Amino acid sequence: MSNSVEGQTEFALSPAGLAKIDGLIERYPTKASAIMPCIWVIMDEVGYVPEGGVELLVEKLDVTRARVHEILTFYTMFRSEPQAEYTLQVCHNISCHIMGARPVIAHLEKRLGIRLGETTPDRKFALEGVECLAACGMGPCLQLGKHLYEHLTPEKIDGLLENLRRGVVPRADTEREGVE
Amino acid sequence: MVKLTIDGKEMEFPEGTSLFDACEKARGEALPHFCYHPDLSVAGVCRLCQVEVEGMPKLTIACNTTIRPDMVVHTRSEKVTKAANQILEMHLINHPVDCPICDQAGECGLQDQYMAYGLYDSQVEMASKVNKAKAEVIGPHVVLDQERCVLCSRCVRFCDEITGTGELGIYNRGDRAELGTAPGTELDNNYSLNTVDICPVGALTSRDFRFKKRVWMLKAAESVCPGCATGCNVRVDHEAGRIYRLKPRYNPDVNGSWMCDMGRMTYKDVHQAGRLTEPRISGQTVRWTDLKERLAGLTTAAALKLVVGSPHQTLEELYLLKKLGEGRLCGGLAAADRGDGDDLLLDADRSPNRGGLRILDAAETDGAGLAAMIGQAAGTVLIHGGNPAADAAVAEALAAAGDVIYLGTAENETAAAAAVVLPVAMWAEKPGVFVNKDGRLQEFKQAVARQGNAREDWRLLAEILELRGQDVPGSLKGLREEMTASLELEVDLNRMPGSGFVPGGVNA
Amino acid sequence: MSPGDTKILSARFDRTDGHRLDVYEQDGGYKALRLALTGMKPAEVTAVVKESGLRGRGGAGFPTGVKWGFVPKDAEDVYFFVNADESEPGTFKDRYCLDYDPHMTLEGTIISCYAVGAKLAFIYIRGEFGWLIDRVQKAVDEAYAAGYLGRDILGSGFDLDVIVHKGAGAYICGEETGLINSVEGVKGQPKIKPPFPAVSGFLDKPTIVNNVESVAAVPWILNHGAAAYKAFGTEKSAGTKLWSVSGPVKNPGVYEVPLGIPFREFFNDYLGGMVDGEDLKAVIVGGSSVPVLPADEMMSCNLDYESLSSAGTMLGSGGMIIIPASCDMVELIQVLMHFYYDESCGQCTPCREGTGWLHRIVKKMRRGEGTTGDIDLLEHVCNGMAGLTICPLSDAAVMPMRSFIEKFRPEFEALIKETAPAGPQSRWPRGEQE
Repeated sequence: MSNSVEGQTEFALSPAGLAKIDGLIERYPTKASAIMPCIWVIMDEVGYVPEGGVELLVEKLDVTRARVHEILTFYTMFRSEPQAEYTLQVCHNISCHIMGARPVIAHLEKRLGIRLGETTPDRKFALEGVECLAACGMGPCLQLGKHLYEHLTPEKIDGLLENLRRGVVPRADTEREGVE
Repeated sequence: MVKLTIDGKEMEFPEGTSLFDACEKARGEALPHFCYHPDLSVAGVCRLCQVEVEGMPKLTIACNTTIRPDMVVHTRSEKVTKAANQILEMHLINHPVDCPICDQAGECGLQDQYMAYGLYDSQVEMASKVNKAKAEVIGPHVVLDQERCVLCSRCVRFCDEITGTGELGIYNRGDRAELGTAPGTELDNNYSLNTVDICPVGALTSRDFRFKKRVWMLKAAESVCPGCATGCNVRVDHEAGRIYRLKPRYNPDVNGSWMCDMGRMTYKDVHQAGRLTEPRISGQTVRWTDLKERLAGLTTAAALKLVVGSPHQTLEELYLLKKLGEGRLCGGLAAADRGDGDDLLLDADRSPNRGGLRILDAAETDGAGLAAMIGQAAGTVLIHGGNPAADAAVAEALAAAGDVIYLGTAENETAAAAAVVLPVAMWAEKPGVFVNKDGRLQEFKQAVARQGNAREDWRLLAEILELRGQDVPGSLKGLREEMTASLELEVDLNRMPGSGFVPGGVNA
Repeated sequence: MSPGDTKILSARFDRTDGHRLDVYEQDGGYKALRLALTGMKPAEVTAVVKESGLRGRGGAGFPTGVKWGFVPKDAEDVYFFVNADESEPGTFKDRYCLDYDPHMTLEGTIISCYAVGAKLAFIYIRGEFGWLIDRVQKAVDEAYAAGYLGRDILGSGFDLDVIVHKGAGAYICGEETGLINSVEGVKGQPKIKPPFPAVSGFLDKPTIVNNVESVAAVPWILNHGAAAYKAFGTEKSAGTKLWSVSGPVKNPGVYEVPLGIPFREFFNDYLGGMVDGEDLKAVIVGGSSVPVLPADEMMSCNLDYESLSSAGTMLGSGGMIIIPASCDMVELIQVLMHFYYDESCGQCTPCREGTGWLHRIVKKMRRGEGTTGDIDLLEHVCNGMAGLTICPLSDAAVMPMRSFIEKFRPEFEALIKETAPAGPQSRWPRGEQE
């Protein structure tokens, strides 16, 4: 995941990324229908979709800039700005709320020194509230990219933050053995 | 044909008719609506046109319903009226109370529908309304106020479906949704002002018209755009002699609901500096009364050797010009008033009445040809409209020519070259008929008064004929009667159908 | 899960290797596919599923076989979508199917495509399931390698391609036409109906969208027959349901039980009742978009479509949220109203504006600025939203809002009068805002 703040100026997708995009356009029934997976290729490589990414999509998929921006602003997971290194997304929907999401958020706010919705000045951590992550029976929970952490307690959170501060993303319980 | 009952009335419509259109015909007025537009795809998002269809559990939107046999529809029941009231309220909860500063006031869908279906007290605190961008210039012609926008998506659909340019989108979700151009792009196509027409509220407004005139002060004249040979039907909005804007008039056979931005701005020519308002002889302003004798002498059948018209003149004027020319009329320069056309409405022929020249066999020529004709004319040359002296060869010929009379509307090379300059009317200052690129005869009405001492063209030409001792009609009606008989156009020019007439073609 | 339970869907939920093809095949996997493709005509498959009484398990409860029957006969280019966009608050059972048993869902998908004549299927997985998408993709790859996908599957002449499509965070994409639009490459906003997807959906072609849990039941139904499936459940609610249970019960999690079991029995025997120190106050039984029931009313319900419907709520997605007495109901409704405000696609006015307005009013009340007219105002807003929109998200916001007021009005009134009812401790200080 990129955390470069100046990444808006020069944008070039890797050859592998471009190949993925071409492959998607082949696979999907229409060019326009491939827009979401193509945006994911850019998101996975760069962490957000810079203007250059929009240009690439317009060119490859034969869609308007307005359409690309509609898609980018409609879905919460697509981002148009460079993101923090670690974005901690805590579910604040009903089941997690009942099981203590707010104290979890308060604890994270205290530990990180920021409020919900903010990013630390060094841009290492962002704290976001999100809607139901489908871990309701195992809440409170938080998502960090492709990692889902459940059954959160202040201790678990502290352990997570400690690892992240060292640049290590700890294995979540949802990642079981024998899977890729 | 499909029979159905609307508000107790049994009615019949062709199969496939939209229930929205059927209800409009049955009621004599449209159902409340924002997002429906007959020339755009159905969006079904404003939810206002809901009606009660017996047998259906919920109210249903009429715009997305095709009529079925034996449907029983209620458009004014309590349930329907209540729904319209509630949905209207939803449209207004975040709407800014901008009426005092909003151009749309007086022709606003929210105002109109609030008066018809609302009339409730707001229960929303002003401070809690969602705020968005205001007064944002999004292109050369259009200003956007996102707060006022009711997100009907008409403008988005227009740019997607009609111009195919797709500049507009609606971003974000929920009540954070906002209309706009993509970052770094503009709404800059030759039809951008149509989005202002179809915007039911003051979200999209015209930069040109902004803050200029309250719409209830405007009067309207039905006219035809003079910008090109398509002849889009327009409405000229004016007050006290000034035109403030042009709006397209619906004509399914010519321009549908649209017109282009270039055509829309042609009204500015009427108010440009440099209008010809006083007759001149050799550069000196004279009075019409003083001119009469001189004019008579110059325009006798013997003296008047060459009559040149232009595709800017009306059919009536061209007819009289041809009479003046004793059956001969030159159409002017074929290469003049040409540009690029597009796939929509703008024609490459940037004049409104070459069709009229064709009907009257007034052949156009090139600069050299016209210069030669001028050179050979041992006598008066009368030029009506256009600006042939912009061509160097013609200008040279005119300089060397004898007496040149120019009937014109604005200072130009030909007015400078002519010894006698007679100020006449522009298209918005007189009634007339233009013939468009398809041969369609279209009538237009006068909007504003002529300026200064400018004359109505056909009357001036008739006067000149009268000076020759010929009988002339005393009224436009009489002139058209004469033309109807003599030109064999299959239509009575005094009883023209509203959407125009194509001789030899398919007519409504 | 209790031993001896029905395991139509949950046979491999207790394993950590149930997602592997070899494990699935050992358990009898892909036998139903073979049976369908080599021994049955597509119409016969549809007939069996129809006969079984299987109802859509995403939330709408529409009979699956009937839905398949809406596809025009001899339609060219039919599309199939598996709705794995599971985002209904309180619901996490599709996640279990995809995580622990992706081949079950896949086999069901292939059979369903055969039945309706689809040649291309999308498995639309919500973007937040990034942690399990690779697992599903691997299962698809294994199926291709084994010849269960691709050309001339099992020599039947039937071709099928499956694309795993990742969502990007939008609850509304769980609405079937929103899902279709999302894959078409426009915003995932629902389409106006008519036309109906089975006739004209994806790229204007006949389209079927089914929930993960619905297609996951298909292999078992084919293997054991419609009658065997109908033997579980009740007359109108055949088969089993995966219940997602959350809240302070002793044993939250995903349970497969035959439809019709009394809630009282489920609550005591399966869930183990409340954790110590908590009392049952209310239950939202089918995901947040259904009316809430107070504990006593819930206790007299059976867990099937009809019983819950006559009690004034809905089975919905089966996302069972247990609300303890220690919860402030107005606080919970603020959480839910924020959800619908966040997720409204914004397309049609009553929902777009109404969800925002409901959230604002509840927030204002919880800030201590509520007035006596606010409860009526909330109901007034609900009236301007319900039944007037393109899709049911509007109703999904209205149902909890109305039911919370109806069943727990004193809590709203007490908040306005600034006296808290005895008992509920807030899990969220009233001063703090979202």
